[in-house]
Amino acid sequence: MTQRGTLEIRGVEKHYDVDGRPLKILDHIDIDVAAGEFVSIVGPSGCGKSTILRLVVGLDDDYAGSIRLDGEPIKGTSLDRGIVFQDHRLLPWLTLEQNIGLSLENSRLSAEEKRRTIAEHIALVGLRGFEKVYPYQLSGGMAQRAAIARGLVNRPEILLLDEPLGALDALTRLRLQEELLSIWRIEKTTMILVTHDVDEAIYLSDRVLVMTANPGRIVKEIVVDLPHQRDRGSPTFAAIKRDILREMGDYAVHVAAA
Amino acid sequence: MTDATNSTFAVRRPLAGARTPSPVRAARRPAGRRYIGIILPLGLLIVWSLATWLAWVPAVFLPSPLATVKAFVAMVTRQSLHQDFLRSINIVSQAFVYGSVAAVVLGVAAGLSANVERFFGPTFDSIRHIPGVAWLPLIVLWLGLGAPAQILVIGKSVFFPVFLNTLQGIRNVEKSHIELAKVLTLTRSQLIRRVVIPSAVPSIMVSLRYAAGVAWALVVTAEGLSGQEGLGYLIFRAQNLLITDQLIVCMVIIGLVGFAIDRLMLLLQRFVLRWKQGFEG
Repeated sequence: MTQRGTLEIRGVEKHYDVDGRPLKILDHIDIDVAAGEFVSIVGPSGCGKSTILRLVVGLDDDYAGSIRLDGEPIKGTSLDRGIVFQDHRLLPWLTLEQNIGLSLENSRLSAEEKRRTIAEHIALVGLRGFEKVYPYQLSGGMAQRAAIARGLVNRPEILLLDEPLGALDALTRLRLQEELLSIWRIEKTTMILVTHDVDEAIYLSDRVLVMTANPGRIVKEIVVDLPHQRDRGSPTFAAIKRDILREMGDYAVHVAAA
Repeated sequence: MTDATNSTFAVRRPLAGARTPSPVRAARRPAGRRYIGIILPLGLLIVWSLATWLAWVPAVFLPSPLATVKAFVAMVTRQSLHQDFLRSINIVSQAFVYGSVAAVVLGVAAGLSANVERFFGPTFDSIRHIPGVAWLPLIVLWLGLGAPAQILVIGKSVFFPVFLNTLQGIRNVEKSHIELAKVLTLTRSQLIRRVVIPSAVPSIMVSLRYAAGVAWALVVTAEGLSGQEGLGYLIFRAQNLLITDQLIVCMVIIGLVGFAIDRLMLLLQRFVLRWKQGFEG
């Protein structure tokens, strides 16, 4: 069954050349994401989780294996696949509105439709009133919301989130997690979130994929079968968290000792 | 406004200040300190007055401030100083516009294409080390005394700093921004217009401000060595005829105009770069 926004990653491997010798970065990655699903990938830094997103978005096509979106092999970058980076990457010389509009530069919408959908997405991320503001005038949380709006404005089939909340303070982070959830419910976009924050992954996702490093591979898949709003303090939540941390290896000792 | 104005997401600065940057800057600089820059010129004026009044220096070498003002009035009323002044401004403006437009165009081309850079590189790097004054004799032989030769020499001195900074600015575009453009499927021309050129604008603006100063300073040399009009010519004539008061009048005018040019360029720079936080040049 192929519905819009179905991602299929099969046997993906990736190597870097280090001093002339190939270093394996990704080892046989298989991931299936259903349309409209929210999947998180967690793992220690250097495990290649962000690399997977770079491959899926099309910034790097030097890999073995296959990546298909809705059954079609991906080729280069495309407006069907949006991404939000950890640094907001808003262009400093464009206003918030123009930054979001940059996503629609090559869309087939009419000028009027562009204007409307930009306004809708600015409202969606709660930034109405800040259309003409330059990025330096935005707080970190606001800039990241703008980046999310830019990722969504073209209505991609899949939105890749590369630690989008990683650089934010704890409170802003919690609040933006709520917003991500409500945006996901409204837009029904397939989402893949890469994070090293296990709580964040459990709180947001239908499924969590756990990776380890050297070489990067997926060691465990955990289905989070909890209704939203999830209670971060509940025993089930804690049990899932313990499972994930144990899989991530390094943490196992501390978890066992605790 | 929306809930986004809540404390966690509050803008770092009041929006009113953000949209019109000047009030923010003015607030940072208390009113009293703004005039601190006038103290030194006033002090110099006093020393100058004392030096002439107490006859530390013979009047033929240093006329008094009052004599200088009188010379200024005489020059305006009897020698149509304003025509020489406008003539100099005209020469410098033309040289600045031609030199900087050519520099930005070629700088962008060389920044975008390594082949263009390789093509011009050796030639430009040699030419730019021959000072404008050294070019003047040959150019005067070709073009004769007068405006075209002067514009060419000044334009050359405007060209190189702007060219080099444009090239550097284009090369310094952030890799992450290029990546973003790729993700947004921008075409090469969209990439250049929306990403590459804007990232070069700060260094272009800095070099334009610098080049404007260079151009104005050079007008004295250019007019003094190859012409019969303009402020530069008046200075050299005044030296030959030992009319020191006129010499000083010209120097003061050149200094004040240079100051005005610099401040104008700074204002332009601040306006063009209003998106850049705390950019002061």
